[in-house]
Amino acid sequence: MAAPSAAGLGRRLRAWLPRLTQVRWTRYNPSFLEPEVNKELYRKPWDELSEEEKEKQELRALQPIKAAPPSVSCSVFSDPMISKFTNMMMKNGNKVLARSLMAQTLEAIKRKQLEKYHKAPEDEKEKIECNPYIIFHQALKNCQPIIGLSNITKGGKTYQVPVPLKDNRKRFLAMKWLITECRENKHRRMLMPEKLSQELLLAFNNEGPIIKKKHVLHKMAEANRAYAHFRWW
Amino acid sequence: MLRSLKGFVFHPLKLDHGYALHTAAKDCLSSVLSQDVQIPAERPRAVFYTNETDPANHTEHHEGRHYSIPLEEVKAVFPHGLPYRFQQQVKTFNEACLMVRKPALELLTYLKNSNFAHPAVRYVIYGQRGTGKTMTLCHVVHYCARQGWLVLHIPDAHLWVKNCKELMQSSYKKERLDQPLQASSWLKNFKTSNEHFLKEIKTQQKYVWGKRESTEQGRPLGEVVEQGLARVRSASDAVGVVLKEIKQQCHLGSFRVLVAVDGVNALWGRTTLKKEDKSPVSPEELTLVYNLRKMMMNNWNGGAIVTTLSQTGSLFKPSSAYLPHELLGKEGFDALDPFVPVLVPNYSQREFESCYHYYLHRKWLQHEQARTEAGKEELRFLSGSNPQQLERLAGPL
Repeated sequence: MAAPSAAGLGRRLRAWLPRLTQVRWTRYNPSFLEPEVNKELYRKPWDELSEEEKEKQELRALQPIKAAPPSVSCSVFSDPMISKFTNMMMKNGNKVLARSLMAQTLEAIKRKQLEKYHKAPEDEKEKIECNPYIIFHQALKNCQPIIGLSNITKGGKTYQVPVPLKDNRKRFLAMKWLITECRENKHRRMLMPEKLSQELLLAFNNEGPIIKKKHVLHKMAEANRAYAHFRWW
Repeated sequence: MLRSLKGFVFHPLKLDHGYALHTAAKDCLSSVLSQDVQIPAERPRAVFYTNETDPANHTEHHEGRHYSIPLEEVKAVFPHGLPYRFQQQVKTFNEACLMVRKPALELLTYLKNSNFAHPAVRYVIYGQRGTGKTMTLCHVVHYCARQGWLVLHIPDAHLWVKNCKELMQSSYKKERLDQPLQASSWLKNFKTSNEHFLKEIKTQQKYVWGKRESTEQGRPLGEVVEQGLARVRSASDAVGVVLKEIKQQCHLGSFRVLVAVDGVNALWGRTTLKKEDKSPVSPEELTLVYNLRKMMMNNWNGGAIVTTLSQTGSLFKPSSAYLPHELLGKEGFDALDPFVPVLVPNYSQREFESCYHYYLHRKWLQHEQARTEAGKEELRFLSGSNPQQLERLAGPL
């Protein structure tokens, strides 16, 4: 008698206070598996799969699978780094605009490089890189700092302590610097794709303001070497 | 040398395996070159290119292939008229390559076999968005320019009925309105493309432009154009005079006229322009549109009228409309009736392969996955074989 009424009371309370109790959220039960978007894996005939792959496929037939998020695509042209960069460029959830800006940036890089390529003499043609994706990845890699600074308070004073950075943090910093640089230091009428393509090409050649910012950070870390022992992790 | 190989290479190969077509042809061509060392200058051109640069010689054999137009000719024949994306492509690739397609070949055969003693035939190129109507028109314009015709190319009639910064009352007729900027820019481009005709055609009556300016009878048409460019106020009237003179003199047979209008549905639609008392302007109240409409009638002979319908720049028309009756409206359809409709479809299998290989050859498709079969199929699916969509998708790749 008490148990059903208690459960009914709880349900009624939960319906009355949706903000205090969890109604919908993105955490799945641990038994849920990640979705597999690679088309090549599904096209392989059963005999060609190795032992672990066969086991994995059998497991997937029985276990529940998480819903694939809209940012994951099975297209052969999708690139996780480009998606991350597009998301960081996005403002107010306008993914359509961010994606079109990214496409225009890649096209602008390709046009500039192709024009240079066609005008160059034969022996220099191999050195000119025309693939915008390679340029993008290399530029981001060149912008990543190796060491960062962190604020540590000891004895009432805050010190800037040099600290090794995780890979995710490095990638984030490189992308953030690139985007803030393009948003702030440009002529009023210059469009984002043009400015971004310029900055990416400069970063690809290890020049430009973002590389300078990285060097400044490294120098600061080198200057504060004395406080390195304050770090405890 | 290549002519003898044609029967052996192209007919037995199936068109489904575009790759096979491309590689097999390349092998055959390279074997030819190794046998015959006397023509080192002619580099082996792949299947999707053709060396035939004169549109007059284009036949069904050249269908699906790209032919290149020398850059000086592009500047002379197309001072305006090429789509913006195509102009960017010409600048990037350093060459202007146009694909030979069936609708253009059809139009060229009609033009070759037309009887110029009969009234001018109207051709209307229509199709869905992005299928290549403007490029077909440009192909026809190139053919006529090569043949020595006088080409009256209006790149986009929609630009004349919207976004006009200066609208003046016409001095010639009180109820009409002039557009000096649009008229002067059109006159400038007309001068670039038809230099030699401006000296040959003579005016047949006296035109008075103002108190002190007039053009006597028998003066070359170039003077009228100069007058329009110098005195921008009378540019629209100068355009009207040019069209009138050409219409009066083309039946004599010394030159042929091609009237090429892109977006002809603008002439019979509505405008977004307003008079000073905020009342809407209808198209016939504009001098430029009024004179152009007279040119579109079939009461003259000695030439042809090739037009394109366009929904993209049109005003007050739904985006799914592409058929002549929907875009022209009753008035326009009655004015253009009878006309020869030419449908421009999306790329066929063969044309898609050709375009894809052309982009690969010019290094436009840089992504390493774009070279694979999976990438090609994905491009085909995403673009739906629509030329404009394919071009836009291939941009960032």
